[in-house]
Amino acid sequence: MEVITNADGTKTVIENRLNEDGKRVRVTRKIQEKIVQEHVNRAVAERKQWAKFGQLRSDGTAKSSVATTIGEVVELRLSQYAAQMKQQELEAAEQEKAAAVKSSKILCRVCRGEHFTAKCPYKDTMTSAEDILGGGAAAPAAEEAKAGGPNAYVPPHMRAGAKAFGAGGRTAGSLGAGDARGDGRRDENPTIRITNLSEDTLEADVNQLCRPFGPLARVFVATDRSTGYCKGFAFVSYYDHESAEKAIAKLNGHGFDNLILSADWANGGK
Amino acid sequence: MRPLLLQGHERPLTQIKYNRDGDLLMTVSKDKIANLWYSHNGEHIGCYVGHLGALWTVDCNKTSTLVITGAADNTARLWHAETGRMLHTWELPTAVKRVEFSHDDQYVLMVTEERMGHKSGIYVFAIDISRPEQSDEPIVILRASGAKPTVAAWSYLDKFIVSGHEDGSLSLYDWRNEEVVQTAKAHDSIITDMQMWKDGTYFITSSRDMTARLFETATLEPMKIYKTDAPLNTATMTPTQDLVILGGGQAASEVTTTSSRQGKFESRFFHKIFEDEVGRSRGHFGPINTLAVQPDGKGFASGGEDGLVRVHHFDPEYFKFKYDY
Repeated sequence: MEVITNADGTKTVIENRLNEDGKRVRVTRKIQEKIVQEHVNRAVAERKQWAKFGQLRSDGTAKSSVATTIGEVVELRLSQYAAQMKQQELEAAEQEKAAAVKSSKILCRVCRGEHFTAKCPYKDTMTSAEDILGGGAAAPAAEEAKAGGPNAYVPPHMRAGAKAFGAGGRTAGSLGAGDARGDGRRDENPTIRITNLSEDTLEADVNQLCRPFGPLARVFVATDRSTGYCKGFAFVSYYDHESAEKAIAKLNGHGFDNLILSADWANGGK
Repeated sequence: MRPLLLQGHERPLTQIKYNRDGDLLMTVSKDKIANLWYSHNGEHIGCYVGHLGALWTVDCNKTSTLVITGAADNTARLWHAETGRMLHTWELPTAVKRVEFSHDDQYVLMVTEERMGHKSGIYVFAIDISRPEQSDEPIVILRASGAKPTVAAWSYLDKFIVSGHEDGSLSLYDWRNEEVVQTAKAHDSIITDMQMWKDGTYFITSSRDMTARLFETATLEPMKIYKTDAPLNTATMTPTQDLVILGGGQAASEVTTTSSRQGKFESRFFHKIFEDEVGRSRGHFGPINTLAVQPDGKGFASGGEDGLVRVHHFDPEYFKFKYDY
């Protein structure tokens, strides 16, 4: 290492060393020395020499539980308007929260309000939607009774949704043929998609769930080929539009097997 | 600000204090030891070991040669600051909640807890710096007529002792004559901390009623009120800027029920004169139990229920802060 004292009081330090690639490099630095005098309180300076004491090991290091670390940067921005800003921030957060609640479509099963059923103020005083749902189920049952018992055969043109197909301009004959194949009318039937079903949902469960809203044309529960468990969604076709609509209204947000179902039109909303 | 984290305690901090020159920081916690640190770099100097119970309070004299601690083992102990040697032990009937040297270092006051049939009191002992043994005979014992005192401090010229009580009231004692000069209703709830301005003419109190207040010592006249939204454990005043720093948060028992964001564990800065909140500084995971400002106003330290001491040195922007009026 070579140190040259320059005329202007600076120093030039030239150093030869190996860099990390193993090559010899020459480093030249120009240094200006400046002596800064600092006045320190004598007592404070003396205290800086204090020896360690207390629960310390004999070698002078602190016991392991004592440590001093440098923390994360903490912001302290002093502002006259800090309080107002904080207030605004809180209000904004509150609004955001309210908006989030609105958009997430939390629907109470008792009063149809935007809160969880458990928090419903009317949950003890009002009849739950379930009971109303049960009442709705009674109506088609009555119709069925008229037709000769719940299990009696109803020809397709007598069914509740038959009018709609009649309006479609199809003849009864071609309609019947399609029905026999099972899938010919699939696209015409109003179909709803139910998602968030639990793994062990069976077709029978979905049937039971959807039957009260009207006669079902088709129930399809998506199952995993290898395991046979439900994949979490199902398609249900009704014969008529109203039944499907009613089913969506009731089943969306309905609790089933500890999950909250969501129901919508299968083909993106008719 | 990049705070220094002092990890020397295993239990919640109860009090931290700078010495008068501001180069040393004393911390006490419920884990029975008192620690001494350099405030500029957080280096640990030593532990004062000997207490058998949780420590509640600490103070040192003006020349930083003696340290006194008060604890739940019903003793107050005097230590040689430099070596950590125990010099004297005062046996008191109950736990010592607060100790403080008088301005002239001749006396020390001790506030004792009300327990097991013993009434609480404020004991004043004389300190003789020429020898280690101290008198065990108190000069006076001040007994409160109403609720028990929780904190106390020396007034200007050591003329009076001010005490803050569990019911939120304040008393001003002419301590030599054992007389109550003045009483005032200050807070709606327990007074948790009381810190004198350096000349003893006014002081700040914090309370669990979510306010901190400034009082004039001579009259106990309320001067300022700082309102927050959390119970306060401590309040202190900055010597150079006209600010007060308040610390608190939910009661320790309720902390686990909410997240730290809602816990309000920040140090809050209020303007001393205009009573407006001007800033906050985050960091602790639990309520702040104690705050102290470096006597030259260049930093502050906070001790929390989380067992950590955070030593902050203010950024240059802090000193540029001006309140527009």
